[in-house]
Amino acid sequence: MKKLLIALLLLSLVLVFAACGRDNDEPEPEQQQEEQGEQQQQEEQQEEPEDMGLLGPHNPIEISMLLVTTEVAPAPGNRIAVLMEERLGVTISYEIVTPEMQAERISVLIAGGGAGLPDILATGEVEARLTEAGAKLRLDPFIDSGRFPNIYNHVAPYRARLSWRGGGVDDGLYTLPNYNRFYGNPPLLSPTHYGTGFFLQKRVLEWHGFPDLSNMTLERYFQLIEEFIMENPYTPEGLPHIGFTFPAFPGRVWGMTNPPMFLAGFPNDGGVIVRDGVASIYAGTEYDHRYFYHLNQMFLRNGLMPGESVLVDPEATTQSQDMYFANVANGRVLGMHDQRWGFGSPHDSLVATGQFNRTFVPTMPTFDGRAPWYADRDVMNIHQGFAISSMVSEERAEHLLAFVDTILSEEWQILLSWGQEGLDYHIGPDGIFYRTPEQRLNYDDTIWRQHNRLMGFLDMMPKLQGTLSCGNAFTPGHQPLEFMDGLDEYDRWFLEQYDKRTWRDFVNDPPPNPPHYPAWQISVGSGTPADMARSELEVAALQHLPAIIMAPDGQFDTRWADYIAHIDRIDVAAFEEAMTAGIQERIRNLGY
Amino acid sequence: MAKVGRLRMGRGRLARKYKLQWALLLMTVPWFLYRLLFSYVPLIGWYIAFSDYRPRIGMSPWQQIMQSDFVGLQNFRMLLDTDTVMGQRFIQSVINTFGQAILTQIVGFIAAITLSLMLHEVRVNGLKKVIQNILYLPHFLSWVIVASLASLALALPVSGGIINEFLLWTRIIREPIHFLANPSYFWGIVAGTHLWRNLGWNTIIYLAAMTAVDPNLYEAASIDGANRYRKMWHITLACIRPTIVMLLIMNTGWLLTSGFEIQWFLGSGVNIARAENIDIFILRYGIQMQNFGIATAAGIMRTFVSITLLSIVNFISGRLGGERLF
Amino acid sequence: MKKNKNKEQNKMPRKSIQWEPIIFHTINFTLLIGLCIIMIYPMLNQLAIALNDGLDAIRGGIRLWPREFTLENFRAVFATHTIVDAFFMSVYRTVITVILNIIITFMLAYALSRREFVLRKVITIVFVLTMYFDPGLIPHFLLMQSLGMVNTFHIYWVPNLIGAFNLIIMRTYIRGISESYIESARLDGAGEFRICWQVIMPLCKPVIATVALFVAVGSWNAWFDNFIFNAGTQRLAVLQFELMRLLAAATGVGQAGQGHAAQAAAAAAGVAQVTPLTIRAAITVVAAVPILMVYPFLQKYFVSGVQLGGVKE
Repeated sequence: MKKLLIALLLLSLVLVFAACGRDNDEPEPEQQQEEQGEQQQQEEQQEEPEDMGLLGPHNPIEISMLLVTTEVAPAPGNRIAVLMEERLGVTISYEIVTPEMQAERISVLIAGGGAGLPDILATGEVEARLTEAGAKLRLDPFIDSGRFPNIYNHVAPYRARLSWRGGGVDDGLYTLPNYNRFYGNPPLLSPTHYGTGFFLQKRVLEWHGFPDLSNMTLERYFQLIEEFIMENPYTPEGLPHIGFTFPAFPGRVWGMTNPPMFLAGFPNDGGVIVRDGVASIYAGTEYDHRYFYHLNQMFLRNGLMPGESVLVDPEATTQSQDMYFANVANGRVLGMHDQRWGFGSPHDSLVATGQFNRTFVPTMPTFDGRAPWYADRDVMNIHQGFAISSMVSEERAEHLLAFVDTILSEEWQILLSWGQEGLDYHIGPDGIFYRTPEQRLNYDDTIWRQHNRLMGFLDMMPKLQGTLSCGNAFTPGHQPLEFMDGLDEYDRWFLEQYDKRTWRDFVNDPPPNPPHYPAWQISVGSGTPADMARSELEVAALQHLPAIIMAPDGQFDTRWADYIAHIDRIDVAAFEEAMTAGIQERIRNLGY
Repeated sequence: MAKVGRLRMGRGRLARKYKLQWALLLMTVPWFLYRLLFSYVPLIGWYIAFSDYRPRIGMSPWQQIMQSDFVGLQNFRMLLDTDTVMGQRFIQSVINTFGQAILTQIVGFIAAITLSLMLHEVRVNGLKKVIQNILYLPHFLSWVIVASLASLALALPVSGGIINEFLLWTRIIREPIHFLANPSYFWGIVAGTHLWRNLGWNTIIYLAAMTAVDPNLYEAASIDGANRYRKMWHITLACIRPTIVMLLIMNTGWLLTSGFEIQWFLGSGVNIARAENIDIFILRYGIQMQNFGIATAAGIMRTFVSITLLSIVNFISGRLGGERLF
Repeated sequence: MKKNKNKEQNKMPRKSIQWEPIIFHTINFTLLIGLCIIMIYPMLNQLAIALNDGLDAIRGGIRLWPREFTLENFRAVFATHTIVDAFFMSVYRTVITVILNIIITFMLAYALSRREFVLRKVITIVFVLTMYFDPGLIPHFLLMQSLGMVNTFHIYWVPNLIGAFNLIIMRTYIRGISESYIESARLDGAGEFRICWQVIMPLCKPVIATVALFVAVGSWNAWFDNFIFNAGTQRLAVLQFELMRLLAAATGVGQAGQGHAAQAAAAAAGVAQVTPLTIRAAITVVAAVPILMVYPFLQKYFVSGVQLGGVKE
């Protein structure tokens, strides 16, 4: 008995140390497979003639991929994944990280020195750190080799813009953008404006008899809302109206801080305004003061509103996303400053319940009659998107790039975006793609998508946005016919009243972007004084602006002074200088 | 007691004891080594706090550590330099952690003992079990869920803020309170959410101690004419004193830890000045901005203060003839 | 509150003593039931949301009863293969961790409870201090990486074999057991191992049940180790991590700066931005129910399971 117990004890101990030890000498199964794959591939490359091609079932490869997306991994046996395996010999194992968690995840990957770094790195904004730390493979020699024509065409016109010059590694092309590299002239753009606006509920405009929305001012925007509330304090369901709100929860702080920039007639450069290639923050400036003073004045009118309705949401600065969504979906919110994608699901909820008159159109108030610049030309996602790990061998890199090159062909792009002909869409006699209502329903079902689409993969890989060579839009949502078919009677009527064809027509026709644009893409390094200042500015705004907006009568000035005092303590100059340097560098190198 | 034992033991017997203890050694030493490996070997990584650690891809971690430049106490100095924004933030985060932790512990401690006394008085066993089980439930929810529930509960009544609704309904307040917009409520929110999640769970230990109290003591007290409350004070509480003292000692080591998710999810807006604690500071300024040296230095300071506090309290308690943790 | 009761008692005349229990128990029950409502309401609320239609639920205002009843959310949750896989991974890791924890912690606790054991003091201090030692995330990660445990299942159990707090509880409990059991076993010629497993362990069912639950709850609710060490392998994802992903995406915490272009383009392309409220509620329910079901089986041992202090060195 004793022996048995000791044996048991020793066994469990051995187990523990074996668990640590075994993995030391022996790579884990996945790595092993990869390594085998690598060897196999090397061997095969030597044996097989070039023209067999790298891709295909004869040369299977398992690719590991870090994917920053809100989508979930595809289900096993996913239709498109199977096609990929059958035709290209490619299987992908995903590491999916949500955008909220990528900063920590990437920090840990870098701190770990690159062991376990996936083959493909497809990440968002903080990716600059991966580049700086040398995690990415420089792609120029591969692209210049001429073996990857689709990738070459994809980047050729924008080579300078896409190249990294931020230090840490050699200058060069490390990352292919995942969004907004457009094809077609002009490209087919989304009929909906997904960017910024001071949105107004359609019902309010209808009640006012469809007033002219050009030359909008902040005063008139709030006046439209206030007059409506005075007559209609409650929703038909009996909920009190909220005149104006904005998101300010983490990650959406710009819902609170960005308006002065737009009101002053500047495009979205993030935390700074750029004049003649010089960046300056607008926090604490005259524009800032003017907007928040007005907002505070409007807040003070809350008491004058009938019933429990309010003109400015007292909970705007503390609401969670769920609460914000609930208010919008209830139709309580009459106006907000946000970007259209930011309230996608409550919008869908309103549409699903047929309350089209409670959805929103963008307006563009400005100070002193300046020309609004709310809509910009969609900017390419520079330094985010697809990259290859610097830890892979050259042969493997070739294989990976061959895969991406194939994926960038129209055939595969249509498969990824529209699906399979007949199953997911049909081609009309004129060559126009269209979907049956059933096919549209399928596409809206997230579970269906897990089995039939590679949404996460499509989200982060380079793609042929805009117009395909066959004249169709890249995504169903951009197809003019699809938009018109999907339009409700009320919306059709509403558009007619304003004599517009799409929702995009409500915003300005964007002039060409300035060469540096947008400044928020500029990396100021991590942990640098400029980085610290940027983060501290955001904290100052979070800490003081809510108090300023909700200041009781007569306290605005003291609270404003507190805010200014806080900003004065921050090394703003470091931030502005770093931004200006980045802008100058872009102007020098890119100019278009 | 140990001393007495050793005095009684002769030399020869001691040696024999060692020999006989091979089984006990076998039971413990492997796990002791295991603990050293997983808890103490990483302390080599504390060297990061004294270096300018800028990791690069393609080098093994230990190589990276050894190659980074030694900078002495620079990281510590930066943290404690109140002239810089970072120093101010760090000091504020220490104050917040301490304030949140001490409030959480005091409130939680008093509430858990009171609740245990109340439960102990329930004599209907089936009912007691049902109540207990319901009270334990929140502990099974993860903090992330608790945080999202709390943000809803603390909202204004029109947005479904159940706490405001209740306070208005009972006329305790006239105007709804904007809990999340006012930084001065935040420590209270931390204490409140901890209370909600852990109150029932924390009674487990006290209740167990209470059931171990000798029933004869109560009977004797009843005969002496002691009422319910005297018995609670002089018998129940007196008998579970060792448990209380032990928990208090253990908790002093946690005075520089006040949780993470509540501050992270509810405290990154207007109330940030009262919400940011050491853990959040480390994440924001250390990990996210890749100041790994700063992150490690802040952790080291916390560990030292915690262990010092713990040792002092443990020593004092021992001296006063009370419980000792070690 | 206790003060009030004392005052009440002092004022009470001796004759009406039979009223005292009635008043006391009424107040006591009212307070306890009030407390129960506070504890259980948010959970029933989540359940109601999980059983409600998704687009309708966004409008808010659901309390204890779904407004538009549907099982669709649960269907969606169980049709999502990642969640189902993660569920089993959670169960697997919890079971393994609990079993190994109990065996090892018990063995250690037994040895440390023996007063004659020479290394008792040193080992106890080393274990207790680990509760308060914080090596920091990066050093911890570097160790795990050097041991080759990153992206393996081992990360879930190897570092978590012994909890110091559980060790103290077990040690205290074993000390409370009369020495005579051990003495008589020794006289029968039993060795330490046999005493530990065959004599003492059967006497320790309550504390074992308690520690098992402590470990199970901790293991079931853990997500950070998954995120830091095992995020690279989907098949190793645990349920709380999947839940965390969805909840974090919904709250937007930590989402960086001004990068709207990608989101706008993704929205236009039909990429999901947030998981609906109801799906999150359904996963919350799925994540909470299994651990709630374990609990009743262990509950009967609870009363006497945990003891701290009281047995002096």
